[in-house]
Amino acid sequence: MNGVGWWSLVRFLHVAGAVVWVGGQLTLTLVVLPLARRSLSDEARDRFAAAAGRRFGMLTGAVFLPLQLATGWAMACHRGVTWASLADPGYGRTLATKLGLFVLVMLAAAGHGIAYARGRAELARTLAVVSLVGSLGVVLLATALPAT
Amino acid sequence: MTVPLGRPEPTRGHRPSDSGQSAQPAQPAESVQSVRGGKPGRSVPLGMPGRSGYLGKPGHFGKSGLTARHLRAHVVVVVWVGLALPAAGAQQSLPVARWLAIHLFLLGAATTAVVVWSEHFAVALLHAARPDERWSDARLAAVNLAVAGVLTGVATDLPALTGVACALLVGAVTAHLVVLVRMGRGALGGRLAPVVGYYRAAAAALLTGAVLGGLLATGHAGAGHYGGLRLAHIHVTLLGWIGLPVLGTLFMLWPTVLGVRMAERTTSVARRVLGLTGGGLAVAVAGLTAGWRLPAVVGVLVYGAGLALAVDLFARTVRGRNPAAATGAASPASPDGAGSPATAVGPGRAPALGVGSRRAPLSAAAVQSSAAALGWLCAGVAADAVVLAVRPLDRAGEQIDTLVPVLILGVVAQILIGALSYLLPIVLSGGPKERTALQAVLERGRTVRLVALNAGLVLVAAPLPGPCGTVGALLAAAAGAVFAVLTAMVLVRGARRTGTGGSPRRPVLLGSAAGALLVVLAVLVANSGGVGNDSTGNDSAGRSGTGAVAAGEGADGATVVRTVDVTLADMRIRPSRIDITAGTALKLKVTNKDAQRHDLKVDGGPATPLLADGESRTLDLGTITADRTAWCTLPGHRAAGMTLDIVVQKRGQKRGQKSEQKSGQQGTGQDSMAGMTDDGQMSTGDGTGLDLTADFSRGWTSRDPALAPARGGTVHRVTLHAGPRTVEVAPGVKQRMWTFGGTAPGPTLHGKVGDVFEVTLVNDDPAMGHGVDFHAGSLAPDEAMRTVRPGGRLVYRFRADHAGAWLYHCSTAPMLQHMGNGMYGAVVIDPPGLAKVDHEYVLVSSELYLGTPGSAAQVAKMRQDDPDAWVFNGVAAQYAKAPLKVKAGERARFWVVAAGPSDGVSFHIVGTVFDTVYKEGAYLLEPGGSGGSQALDLSVAQGGFVETTFPAAGHYSFVDHDMRHAERGAAGTVEVTDR
Repeated sequence: MNGVGWWSLVRFLHVAGAVVWVGGQLTLTLVVLPLARRSLSDEARDRFAAAAGRRFGMLTGAVFLPLQLATGWAMACHRGVTWASLADPGYGRTLATKLGLFVLVMLAAAGHGIAYARGRAELARTLAVVSLVGSLGVVLLATALPAT
Repeated sequence: MTVPLGRPEPTRGHRPSDSGQSAQPAQPAESVQSVRGGKPGRSVPLGMPGRSGYLGKPGHFGKSGLTARHLRAHVVVVVWVGLALPAAGAQQSLPVARWLAIHLFLLGAATTAVVVWSEHFAVALLHAARPDERWSDARLAAVNLAVAGVLTGVATDLPALTGVACALLVGAVTAHLVVLVRMGRGALGGRLAPVVGYYRAAAAALLTGAVLGGLLATGHAGAGHYGGLRLAHIHVTLLGWIGLPVLGTLFMLWPTVLGVRMAERTTSVARRVLGLTGGGLAVAVAGLTAGWRLPAVVGVLVYGAGLALAVDLFARTVRGRNPAAATGAASPASPDGAGSPATAVGPGRAPALGVGSRRAPLSAAAVQSSAAALGWLCAGVAADAVVLAVRPLDRAGEQIDTLVPVLILGVVAQILIGALSYLLPIVLSGGPKERTALQAVLERGRTVRLVALNAGLVLVAAPLPGPCGTVGALLAAAAGAVFAVLTAMVLVRGARRTGTGGSPRRPVLLGSAAGALLVVLAVLVANSGGVGNDSTGNDSAGRSGTGAVAAGEGADGATVVRTVDVTLADMRIRPSRIDITAGTALKLKVTNKDAQRHDLKVDGGPATPLLADGESRTLDLGTITADRTAWCTLPGHRAAGMTLDIVVQKRGQKRGQKSEQKSGQQGTGQDSMAGMTDDGQMSTGDGTGLDLTADFSRGWTSRDPALAPARGGTVHRVTLHAGPRTVEVAPGVKQRMWTFGGTAPGPTLHGKVGDVFEVTLVNDDPAMGHGVDFHAGSLAPDEAMRTVRPGGRLVYRFRADHAGAWLYHCSTAPMLQHMGNGMYGAVVIDPPGLAKVDHEYVLVSSELYLGTPGSAAQVAKMRQDDPDAWVFNGVAAQYAKAPLKVKAGERARFWVVAAGPSDGVSFHIVGTVFDTVYKEGAYLLEPGGSGGSQALDLSVAQGGFVETTFPAAGHYSFVDHDMRHAERGAAGTVEVTDR
């Protein structure tokens, strides 16, 4: 495919979605929350962290997740990926692993929200880091997939 | 925060220091009163002998840093186990997964547990100072990093990473061993101090195991020693690193979980058992490493004897439960501490005393699991000894392989289950109530789990049909998984409790570690079964390319299918390289001819299952359009050299051209020739699928090149049987040949001018007709050269009127195939007045075409004059392996006949000049003149001889100076020694 076509737009949306989600997690973890911890009072910090988490979670559920699923599904159809081919070594297996890791990341992210809601701060943080590191792994696996 | 040990009977033998220590007042926060049986038991000091002595920090117990450290360590253990389970599930499809499953479990989970607990117990048992926490953490981290490195290195086939990680592991374990040894110096020592000896011996065993494993995984073991080293590795790690700490710990754990006093003679028995098991293991491992069976069997038997001694003590402990209780009841006076464990390492729950009936054990799960584990260990050692005794070592590996999973699950998993069931609640809990609650969680369904696990293992171990084994494996796996879930639940509870006091960085560390492990695992899965995107890229490129080639082929005819026999043996794949024309459909007939199992996997393509000795599978690679590689996926085998390159050549490009290009790139022709004379044999040669540097099979002998003297008399009567025969035509390569007299070339006939040869040709070939054509005689071909039907015979009578080196060959069409498959030979007729020489040799040059004789693929190669090798006397590189032997100053005559079927020969001996050349009935050069000759050139079906004198000792290569031919088999060596 030469030039910018419709499929490159789909891929762009997929990649951009991932960039925003992973970047958002990194920004929250490395920039926003540490600053909040340092500069806000305990109560304000907790409120802020909860609000930021909720907002990011909503963004994830409402925008990011549907976008990734839709664009990912479309690209897989376009490339002719079948269920059976997911087991094949090479492209299929890499894609399947990426999807599996993505599911785990999403579970960790959901678990983070639940743990936070139940006041299990430490577990929540652990799961947040798992989700962040795992999503970097998803990106790593994605880069191993040749372009559609 | 410690673990209670067996409660020794109050004996006089106690050293003051012991009682003095144990007599530390039970501090409120550090002592626990048993509530079992509703009666308060005796308080036992919980203090951890550590930096602050038994006093510790009152009230700090529950949230101590030690608890957090144990929690972390056990999270790591659980993660390793968690990774091992999917790997175990995948082992049917991926051989490396089996290796991964075993090593994730043993090298990951079990090693972490052993390192943590052996250090912990050593401190307690020796009453030693606790080593610096940071260094302990560093050692543990180094061990885990090394383990991750080894696993990644093997799984992704990076021997360098594996080697470095092994070195790190050796370093970390050495540090662990040093700590254990130094701890003993100046320490007070307790009654159970000998148990620490088990931990030291175990660390030494892991060192040995790591070194052996490193050799195996990086391919340094060598084919000859691989089997023995592997067995030694298995024994030293399973029976040493895992078995010894388990056994040692049981000496204290067993009475503890039973809730009885330690038997009086425990100390002495522990010492004796360590001597027997450790010594026996050392002998066994040394024997296995050296490949000696007797010491191996004796060593395992001695190990078994030690084991039996320990089991005997444990059994007596169980039987002695009542009396012990009674004694305890009768003398409750063992005053605070005086009779308490010499080495209190935990919140001992003093059993309720004075109960008339048998007491229930403190931890029923621990008792059951430990007993079952011991049973499996005994059974495993016994089976091991039997296997080693009845099977030669190179065959024992496979049997022992089937023992390993059973041992792992039966012994290691069960001892882990038993120990964790008892220890985790103690370690993680802050008080008796919580401990009881945690213990209740861990003991949920213990009997069902125990029965399921052990019944499953019996099903796996017993020689039952396939489904039974699967059911057993599932049962065992389910039981293990349930326990893993229970452990995780307990850990989560513990984490919740300690969570509030934890450091803010901990979630980050834990999360990063868990996330990183997930990613590593994902990458491993993604890369399993061939490197991902590259091969895919090749495939897709290949597919579009195929269309183009196939279109081109439509004009030429059908796609050529080539079947290549591939042999797996001695850590080599033969051939090591297959050259193939682009667009050819390739099939590999893979046969394992090794005592150990191998497989062959083509990147991005099909793979064979694991093949046992003699098993064979055919891989259909389809149309080959791009270079491919194949290898054996067993860990370490690829690194050891088990690879196969499939190299595509462009259509129309002849191999010779390719090899010329290559040697042109590599250096001048002179260089390569210098290399050739240096080794006295040719390099593997570019462009050939044959590995000419490999060894011939055992028992192979070269064809005697010496010309037998002509028999007396003028009539030579010879019977020639025509028929097929399978012979080794190149190192390790067997080929079905069509022969005269069972050899290719056929027997050499030798006579003088005027002799009559009366040859009776008998066609023994059941499948086809053959004839014969002797160039040395002149006669009407019609009758003499007719084709003889299978089972028929004819007499071919000719008079050798002329001298020369003559060809004879099969006269049946298609002669290209009959000659290409080996039906040719030489007739040597001495010219009158031929001078005597010291040595007289006959060399018949020809081409070698591998593959099924007469198959389309083989015939295509013959038609294209694209042989697999060029040979002297039928076998590639045979005289490079078995040189001709001459003394310096001796004179030799070389008769050469070019049999073809398509290529002639330019016969040259490196380092010599011919002073006599006789070609096609005439002397081209005779001694005495000023001239010399460098090569005897013969077209197909011509013959002659050359003579030369070897000036000095050395290795003189004789070659077909067409280097395409020389580098692919038509070369040998004359080894000249001093007189």
